[in-house]
Amino acid sequence: MIELNDVSFAYQNAAKEGGLLGVSLRVRRGECVLMCGESGCGKTTLARVVNGLIPHFYDGDLRGEILVGGKSVSGLQLHDMAGLTGTVFQNPRSQFFNVDTTGEIAFGPENLGLPEKEILARIDIAAREMNVEHLLGRSIFKLSGGQKQKIACASVAALHPEIYVLDEPSSNLDMASVADLRRHIALWKSQGKTIVIAEHRLHYLRGLCDRAVYLRGGKIKGEYTWREFESIPAEERSAMGLRALSLDELRETRSPASNQGRGTLELSNFIYAYKRGHKTMDIPALTLPKGGVIAVIGLNGAGKSTFARCLCGLNKRFHGTLALNGRTLGNAARRKKCFMVMQDVNHQLFTESVLDEILLGMQRENDAAAENILDSLHLLDIKESHPMSLSGGEKQRVAIATAIASEREIIVFDEPTSGLDLTHMRLVAENIRRLGGMGKTVFVITHDPELILSCCTHAVTLKDGAASSALPLDENGRREMLSFFI
Amino acid sequence: MTAELLRGDAYQGLRLDPRTKMAMVFVVGIILTAGGYGGLMTYVRPALAFMPLLLLLLSKRWSAAAFYAAAFSAAYLGEIFLLSSTFGILNFILLASVGLFARFMPGLMMGYFLVSTTTVSDFMSAMRKMHVTEKLAIPLSVMFRFFPTVREEYGAIGDAMRMRGVSLCGGKPLKMLEYRFVPMMMCSLKIGEELSTAALTRGLGSPAKRTNICRIGFHAQDIPFLMLSAFCLAAYVRWLIANGGGAW
Repeated sequence: MIELNDVSFAYQNAAKEGGLLGVSLRVRRGECVLMCGESGCGKTTLARVVNGLIPHFYDGDLRGEILVGGKSVSGLQLHDMAGLTGTVFQNPRSQFFNVDTTGEIAFGPENLGLPEKEILARIDIAAREMNVEHLLGRSIFKLSGGQKQKIACASVAALHPEIYVLDEPSSNLDMASVADLRRHIALWKSQGKTIVIAEHRLHYLRGLCDRAVYLRGGKIKGEYTWREFESIPAEERSAMGLRALSLDELRETRSPASNQGRGTLELSNFIYAYKRGHKTMDIPALTLPKGGVIAVIGLNGAGKSTFARCLCGLNKRFHGTLALNGRTLGNAARRKKCFMVMQDVNHQLFTESVLDEILLGMQRENDAAAENILDSLHLLDIKESHPMSLSGGEKQRVAIATAIASEREIIVFDEPTSGLDLTHMRLVAENIRRLGGMGKTVFVITHDPELILSCCTHAVTLKDGAASSALPLDENGRREMLSFFI
Repeated sequence: MTAELLRGDAYQGLRLDPRTKMAMVFVVGIILTAGGYGGLMTYVRPALAFMPLLLLLLSKRWSAAAFYAAAFSAAYLGEIFLLSSTFGILNFILLASVGLFARFMPGLMMGYFLVSTTTVSDFMSAMRKMHVTEKLAIPLSVMFRFFPTVREEYGAIGDAMRMRGVSLCGGKPLKMLEYRFVPMMMCSLKIGEELSTAALTRGLGSPAKRTNICRIGFHAQDIPFLMLSAFCLAAYVRWLIANGGGAW
């Protein structure tokens, strides 16, 4: 179904890494193939070659032969491929062209000019298959990330493509949505479709993929049947930079010792409801360990983001308080004590150089102190760079540096590792541990159990807005925390 | 809860044909910004200024309606009371700001009404029925997707600024603008790219004749609005002819 013969590609913008070097690959009809490897290994580029975005959208130097469904991709137009390959992308936020869900599912078939009756029938079937009938006719701005991804799957399925390409589809999803995604892929597989998945998160693909292709530096370094892939020893797989293949194996991991005896944070009256709605957060009182690294887990919609925004004092209509060092802090005081490293860190970098960014946050501008902080986060070499020219990981470290520079005591991370490979996840974990070592209290909102095990000392579970008490992540605590994810 | 979900929240309230809405945006925008006073226009102008309020109420955009009513009455009252009681530079500044506000506000609110109550597919249908080329229709349709997205981004950046303690009170308004717009443009670029790839891989730009599943068409409720628009436009043209057309 898919045949690549000695394909090489280099992006025109040379700064963009992740090209391909002499890749040959054959995918048979009805096969489900995983493409894995570290960030920048070329797996997304490979996905773009299969769906035609290369060479028709991304410019660059392409060599070799690409045959999809027996036709040469170079000879086709992008819109000719719409009925042949369908693509589910990483970011549910930005893969919608319409503002309403029904229009979105209809969009592809409408573009191809199918008869109206046929389109309505296809919407019906796709909505039923993806279990989104209750979401039809709604504004996409009022859907959760998981719901959006389901609509994205339905709108691709409505085109009845022979080949499904999924480019890191689970990056922004919680456990329940990942389980839904797995069901969708299983359905497509049972329909005999050919499926190509580029992905970091591997555990949900067990028993689904037939083969795994491992890439490194733009080359295929290994092709495995799934059984061979699973039999790779954990240490070797970790050296390959791949995430855990099953959450069960995480049970053995040791997480850092918790810092006890530094006092407590007392949250009170953390209750919040939208103007006309049920309570999205309902925590009358909660005691948390000061100086702990606290994982905040829960499904999408459990109130995690509300909790983070309210904690940081960003919600004007919220009136809860936080007691810290014997002082009770309201919204304005908390805005000075707390800092959130946002999921899209682009939102919080404003200035023209990394150094300026640090100085902006300081009480009193002090170049020497700023450079010390940059040095500790390996940012000193790039202190004159424009923050927007940095990689995602570097941007995140700059944001962390501004938090340190502004002497915040509480630092909140909003899903810091969504879409990160093992190496980058470990770097983030290292930075979070370092903040813990500095005596900061860190909150980590995450769906990533590997991250929790590598840096958190406690876990709080949110469910329907209510919070569990802080669970120390000792042996029993780890087991209990993992049971949430498995 | 379930009933609410089933009903859908894409749009509730008065349903007008997108073409009616576009005609009204055009009429309100042109007549109120371009001017024309005296004669029939004495009645036409207030009627048109009232139009966005009426439409926002009918489409259940309560907060937008309240905002418009408050802002416009403030500008109107300002024009009556403040202008006659101030002199010199102050009078000039007031005149300029109040005048500009009263002229552009209704058009902007009509634009908001159009964008917030029309789906992309409704809009594409309307463009097709008016035989507008897709080369123009597609970029325009992106606008419907783009504004709400930018608003989301804008909110997130505002959060980040407040958290950093960067605010207008810092006394560097130009810096503020830069801090707000540089990240916003970077995010918009990225979103633009992702949006394009998602749309193109689903056949946007295909030469096939595009189908539209949504049925748009003129209904009884469109008639009064169309007639009013036509009447106002006629009154404006008559006024233009009577005044030699040179009153910009």
